[in-house]
Amino acid sequence: MLNPFCSAEALTMGVELELQLVNLRDFDLTRGAESLLAALAKSPRADCIKPEITESMIEVNSAVHTSYGSLLRDLDDIRAEICAAAEKLNIGVAGGGAHPFHHWAERRIFPTERFSAISELYGYLAKQFTVFGQHVHIGCASGDAAVQLIHKLAAYVPQFIALAASSPFSQGADTAYASSRLHAVSAFPLSGHMPPVTTYAEFERYYDHMASFGIVRSMKDFYWDIRPKPEYGTLEIRVCDTPLDIETAAAIGAFAQALCAWLAEQPCANGWEDEYHVYGYNRFQACRFGFDAEIVEVGSKRLVSLREQILKALDAIASHAHDLGSGEAIALLRERTAATINGARWMRDCLMREGSLADVVRDMCGLWAKPALDAGAVNGAGAATLAD
Amino acid sequence: MPFIPALPPPLTEALLLGVLLAIGALAGAAAQRFRLPAVFGYVLAGFAVGPLMLDFPVRPILTEARVIVDVAVGLVLFELGRRLDLQWLRRDASLWVAALAESALTFVGIAGALIAFGFPWIHSAVAAAIGVSTSPAVVWLVTNDERAQGQVTDRCLNLVAVNTLIGFMLATMLVAAVHLEYQAGWITILLHPMYVLLGSLAVGVTMGVLLPYVAAMLSRRPESHFAIIVAAVLIAVGLAIALKLSVFLALIATGATVRNVPRRFALLEFDLGGGARALYIVLFVVTGAQATWPALQAAGWAALIYVLVRALCKWVGVMLSTPLSPLPWRQNACLGLTLMPMSGMALLLMYDISERYPAFGEELAAVLLAAIVIFDLLGPLVLKFALKRAGDLDR
Repeated sequence: MLNPFCSAEALTMGVELELQLVNLRDFDLTRGAESLLAALAKSPRADCIKPEITESMIEVNSAVHTSYGSLLRDLDDIRAEICAAAEKLNIGVAGGGAHPFHHWAERRIFPTERFSAISELYGYLAKQFTVFGQHVHIGCASGDAAVQLIHKLAAYVPQFIALAASSPFSQGADTAYASSRLHAVSAFPLSGHMPPVTTYAEFERYYDHMASFGIVRSMKDFYWDIRPKPEYGTLEIRVCDTPLDIETAAAIGAFAQALCAWLAEQPCANGWEDEYHVYGYNRFQACRFGFDAEIVEVGSKRLVSLREQILKALDAIASHAHDLGSGEAIALLRERTAATINGARWMRDCLMREGSLADVVRDMCGLWAKPALDAGAVNGAGAATLAD
Repeated sequence: MPFIPALPPPLTEALLLGVLLAIGALAGAAAQRFRLPAVFGYVLAGFAVGPLMLDFPVRPILTEARVIVDVAVGLVLFELGRRLDLQWLRRDASLWVAALAESALTFVGIAGALIAFGFPWIHSAVAAAIGVSTSPAVVWLVTNDERAQGQVTDRCLNLVAVNTLIGFMLATMLVAAVHLEYQAGWITILLHPMYVLLGSLAVGVTMGVLLPYVAAMLSRRPESHFAIIVAAVLIAVGLAIALKLSVFLALIATGATVRNVPRRFALLEFDLGGGARALYIVLFVVTGAQATWPALQAAGWAALIYVLVRALCKWVGVMLSTPLSPLPWRQNACLGLTLMPMSGMALLLMYDISERYPAFGEELAAVLLAAIVIFDLLGPLVLKFALKRAGDLDR
């Protein structure tokens, strides 16, 4: 049975970040999760830090927030705790959607019952799932509201992908993609998007139907890009790579929040199901080309520049963002979008400059370890971090 | 027929080495089948063939093939030097507390025990200095074979780098005392150890500083970096021999310099590969072969005490760092155990000393040899057990 949808305060937000653990010798992934979690066990933020599928990953969760500033401070606190513990263990912590040169076969599954079961069932996919994403939770007043928002958000999936893209390298090679991470997700049989149900009751029927086949035991078995999270009363956006720095992670949270605020006021367009016909194509374009993607605009049946679409969206949500206190976050994303700067671009520039992927990971660790600027100072300076 | 040699044909060194290598490799594979470390098999094979080799003194082989041995040992020491992470030592006080405590305790403990046993103090001190280093080769082979990864593995390699450095430095400085014993002139007594110590470090640091710059001129491919590393090792070995310095000290200093000097042109990682392994198989078989029963008996109780005191001191030394360590005490206890393997290089160190003062080595040889063999057999087993308990091996 699916849990009933717990109503949450609308437009609250929370962020989950999966982080890379590397050794400081050659900057390859290392098995450090268990030691790091043990070292953090007495930290006041211990509850926010959890293991992930392999021993080279950890996941951190923010608290529930209503504004960008408090989210940023919260993430920065957790970041500082983790970095202090990791330093003593000689482990480097980095953002980014995928490790540039690790070999998946060398990964070890973190020993919990669930992860062992996943590894047993999915074989090599489990280890290849050593990729690092940012999940954004947005509170919804009701299950129906969540389902509707999820459909409205489908058209914005490419925007989230391009803004957060930071996995251009995989297994030691340039993939030509801005985000190669999402392919690791697509390989799972229950990946993709939510079916075209329009109410939460319909969604419950769909879930029960799938459960009756015996292939779904919880919402966790759906690897969808956006899915409802009934226990939290949220919808969860899962297409973002973990950005290289805290400011971007918080800004993407704030973008999702303001976008949902704006979308909630927009009427549901006729023929919204059409969005799903081009969904896979647009998603691919965003993964491959990032900001430079040409995606299909369903209404006008034209190819449009993703960069322009993002700038348009940022304009549309500007006043909502201002009311929510995240004007700076939106300004930061606008600057980045206009200049075509995301994590993927930064990593490629870094490789050009430094010459090896190990150097890139070293600099990624440096970027992650930087304390966040005060929310007020992010504007401009934050963009400069990645533009350097 | 003049072209047929007299029967039986002479046993050439190549033939002997080949046979030893084959036996060692087979024994290693057999050991792994029983989930034991391959090193255990190599030494056991040597132990088994030892009695057959009584007529064939192995020591000349080690002396004549010394360059090859030095390069093989040099590569591992270079690799080990690269594990010496000074920044980590600075960030985590428990690491250097463990490193200093276990090295100091081991040195004082063994020296004290041997003196109590009636050995002259200088001999006891040299034997103790040799016991300070954990075997880089055993640790390298076992951590590689078992694909060990994690905190205990990383810390173990760092501690081994430090205790190997300290052990070699102590041994080098004690040569002064040996000079004294054999009544060399005072200039020799004072300056020779300083010359060896500082000279070796100078060669190592120079090579370590230059290497990344040369590497930066090459294409960033592991094979070209490997070639330049082998070149650096050969040059360092050659310089050390030509200048009568310590090959070991120079090589570990090279590695440590590469690791700790700013690394914009970071050298690529390389795989020491099968070549170095083949040499180590022979070395371990030879070590085992020297431990014949009579030899072990001759060593007597002193060897047993040596083994027990060394094991205890290393473990207690690491445990002293527990209150400062970010690791839970159980993991720290495992870390203490990983330091058990004793350096077979000690054998070469001993030969170096006894070459200069032939009477010296003989008195220690029996005890040290017995201790090395016991640690070669038990060390890898304890090491693997500790890594497994620490959770650093595949589950």
